[in-house]
Amino acid sequence: MGTMGLALPWKARISSTLRERGTRVQPSEQFAGGPSPAAVDALSEDAALATACRSGDLRAYERLYAMHGGRMKNLARNVLGNPIDAEDAVQDTFLKVQRSIASFRGQSSFVTWTYRILINTCYDARRSRLRKKEVANDDSVETPRPEPRAPGAHPTLRMALERALGKLTRHQRDVFLLYEVEGFRHAEIAGMLEMTETASKNTLFQAKKNLRQMLEPPRSGAADTR
Amino acid sequence: MNVTCSDRDRIFEDGTLAEWAALEAHGTSCPLCAEEIRAWKSLSVAAAELRDHSDSPSFWPRIERALAEEAARNAQRAGRKSWFSFLPNFSPAWRTVLAGAFVLLLTISASWFYLHPPKGPETEDKSLLKSSALREVESAESAYERAIDKLAAETKPQLENPSTPLLANYHEKLLLLDSAIADLRAQAGMNPSNAQLRYQLLAMYQEKQHTLEEVLEARR
Repeated sequence: MGTMGLALPWKARISSTLRERGTRVQPSEQFAGGPSPAAVDALSEDAALATACRSGDLRAYERLYAMHGGRMKNLARNVLGNPIDAEDAVQDTFLKVQRSIASFRGQSSFVTWTYRILINTCYDARRSRLRKKEVANDDSVETPRPEPRAPGAHPTLRMALERALGKLTRHQRDVFLLYEVEGFRHAEIAGMLEMTETASKNTLFQAKKNLRQMLEPPRSGAADTR
Repeated sequence: MNVTCSDRDRIFEDGTLAEWAALEAHGTSCPLCAEEIRAWKSLSVAAAELRDHSDSPSFWPRIERALAEEAARNAQRAGRKSWFSFLPNFSPAWRTVLAGAFVLLLTISASWFYLHPPKGPETEDKSLLKSSALREVESAESAYERAIDKLAAETKPQLENPSTPLLANYHEKLLLLDSAIADLRAQAGMNPSNAQLRYQLLAMYQEKQHTLEEVLEARR
């Protein structure tokens, strides 16, 4: 069976190398035994990156950007709905990392910590935008207004998905984006969102169930066997 | 591995590869599960539409510039803080306690000096003579020396040839006093402001003067 045990968020580590970006249609997390040599390398690289950033080395920040900048910007764009706000959020995240790196104690991986800052920065920006627009709607139901981006294979599907994502709860949207779009593992997402790995899996399940209901055309009641 | 329609959600949530394979095998004979599997997978396919990791060439330079400016501002702030770098890095709570203790100490000190003001003359070092006092002592010594010289001239004949045991004793006493005066003068010469020496010297002069006067009385 898959890993069902609770995983403390601080144990979650992110590999510094981007994993296969292919479509995730089946579980990709079958852990067995101790950490692999690649995972150990990733840990030491993460620690080295944190140390270099702590020393104020701008090249270390550039390395962090080279490894995660694209993913960070894409995540921010999907949360905020437009590339301008997304770039501002990513830049703010780098500045916050620089300001707070002295207080980083290594309880999570450096990259996990960075993404946690990014996610919080995105939601701060959303709240700020809401206040500016004096919109009284609940933050969790606020729908980002997507701006045009590079055309994909299924622009209609993408737009429908963006609209549906805006109707999910914050956690469901975050987990879906981090897992299905950005390709993070549940253990990594648990570290970023400060939840358990099991909660991440369950939240993804709920998110996909809700999305399916929103995106699929209504079926006949007799078809549902559950 | 056998799975049924009721296992579907559990496998969607946290199924292993083997369970997924079993569910797909089950789907070949169950149209409803086949449709659910297709719909579930299509969400992952659709998610790929939201993935755009393309880089903007101007974005990193912008971040780099912001980081460099922030680092420069931090360096400036650190420069200002270095004025106080001699202080240990206490927590704010301890800083408050220390500041309070310092204020209390200052208050106690001020109160003490207010209630016990220093008395100028008493605090001076009496063992040293001021220049004015020194001049007075030296003039007194000179006066004694002149008086003693006159008396010594008058008593010289009796003392050089004492006719009585009393005069012989006076003679001995005067020799001792001369010796003591010579010693004190030598010491006072090395440390003229030493009040004790000067007063002892004056006392010796006074004693010699009295002794010479007694010699004159004895002669009469």
